[in-house]
Amino acid sequence: MDQTTLQSLEKLNQLRLTDAEKEAVLAFFARQDKEMAVLDAIDTERVERMVHVMPILTVVREDVEKKLFTRDELQKGAPETMDGYWQVPRLVE
Amino acid sequence: MKFETVIGLEVHVELATKSKIFCSCSAKFGAEQNDHVCPACCGMPGMLPIVNKNVVNLGMTAGMMLNCHINRTTTFDKKSYYYPDLPCSYQTTQWFAPVAVNGLVDIETSKGKKSIRIKQIHMEEDAGKLVHDDWTNTSLVDFNRTSVPLIEIVSQPDLSSAEEVVAYLERLRSLLRFAKVSDCRMEQGSMRCDVNLSVRPEGSDQLGVRTEMKNMNSLSAIVRAIEYETARHIDAIENGTEELVQETRRWDDVKGKSFAMRNKETAGDYRYFPDPNIMPVVIDDTWYDGIKNSLPEFPEVKKARYMSEFGLGEYDADILTGSRALCDCFEGAVAECGNAKEAANWLISDCMNLLNKNQQTADQLTVNGTSLGKLIKLVTDGTIGRGNAKKILIAMFEKDLDPAKYAEENGLILSNDTGLIDKVIKEAIAADPKAVADFKGGKEKALMALFGKCMKQLKGNCDPQVLRTMLIDEINKA
Repeated sequence: MDQTTLQSLEKLNQLRLTDAEKEAVLAFFARQDKEMAVLDAIDTERVERMVHVMPILTVVREDVEKKLFTRDELQKGAPETMDGYWQVPRLVE
Repeated sequence: MKFETVIGLEVHVELATKSKIFCSCSAKFGAEQNDHVCPACCGMPGMLPIVNKNVVNLGMTAGMMLNCHINRTTTFDKKSYYYPDLPCSYQTTQWFAPVAVNGLVDIETSKGKKSIRIKQIHMEEDAGKLVHDDWTNTSLVDFNRTSVPLIEIVSQPDLSSAEEVVAYLERLRSLLRFAKVSDCRMEQGSMRCDVNLSVRPEGSDQLGVRTEMKNMNSLSAIVRAIEYETARHIDAIENGTEELVQETRRWDDVKGKSFAMRNKETAGDYRYFPDPNIMPVVIDDTWYDGIKNSLPEFPEVKKARYMSEFGLGEYDADILTGSRALCDCFEGAVAECGNAKEAANWLISDCMNLLNKNQQTADQLTVNGTSLGKLIKLVTDGTIGRGNAKKILIAMFEKDLDPAKYAEENGLILSNDTGLIDKVIKEAIAADPKAVADFKGGKEKALMALFGKCMKQLKGNCDPQVLRTMLIDEINKA
């Protein structure tokens, strides 16, 4: 992890880090890099990638429409709403 | 220097399902804001997505219609996405094992036939809708469209002009509508297209700098955008008017210009990773064969069959096979009445006229084919007149009904009561001796005046031929 990669990640994640935070993140990734190097040294050529812990396949449901919640129920915990919309800080590209 | 345009398309198509891709919320368009939402599509903690089987069915169907290889094990992945219209901060899509790959679509333009390669078709969730409110300087989020199922059809960069792009999109739309994968209505956003475009010197095998254009919701807008963007690229290369960079651009159809939106992300920037909450979907032989056997005839095959089997002309067959709804209604009507020519006439003239009046497309035809066949039988066997049959057809546009029952209930059956017809004729003649004299004097129009009055009195429920013959006989006697 270098300054350029960190800058790119900062932009992609829409974050703004202070210099102190950047230093802490770089130090964290430096430690992570060492640990990854240990893992990289292990031969995993014949090890199948594991994404799903349970040996379950094809969990699907029928195409049936159900209304289980109302808008008001779902918006109870929302910090801000307006006219039935969730309201968030303005976002324009 | 001569240049050639290289275009690849990413076409998003909303699937014709009742519910969303990972939850049971309605996938219908046009509800009040946030009426079709639940914890799953609102990205609330602890929610668990469950795949809608019909989405996989339609994904496979689209793949087979576009001559793709179907991946028998297909998986879902997370794609990083930081806008509030997708509340999980990622979009669930397919990256590592999409449902269909390596397809082929044939198109025809003024330059001849061409095959366009399909790289892949993947299933994914749509994003919600953002409304920017100037008054409060905030953004308002509607999650109704969030998680509505989509397929994205990614072509190889095999297209080289706006004409080819239009032919390709029309072909996709026709095939997908035929297979009932989607209604593909660009104006409602159920078919959307991103255009990846670059230019290069003619004959070169190197690709130029590629830009992606978004925000196009009609074929004509796509044509204008391609023409503008091609000219902008050539100008930049030949005259150095600007530096071309790989980026995403927004097409503004009113201004007729494209504007830079953001630097184009690369696949790495999206940080795809397998979704551990969604188990791999394994398509076994029974499932695969079931979809394969349910595929419709391709439109051109159907057209040839209509011409050979039913003796329709190319023009009629072309119109009918332009829409799956027309084909379904036509085939139902022919099965009922056995008169293909009449069924085609009723659909192409009367039904299409009514659709136009209602500002509907052929795909929105809801008339039941069997009922139309019954109506045609009633006309051909002389039970009802054509004028009254048209009235019944208008009622059939509102709801499915039995034409014979409707005709009886509404007094639309032709009268066989010659006594009544005779009485009406005699009254008309007595009331208008001048018309009788004029007809006898050689004025054919005078007969039509009397004929009209009689038909009005009989409320249209009389065989025109019978009335005409009886009327002339009576005038001659007078």
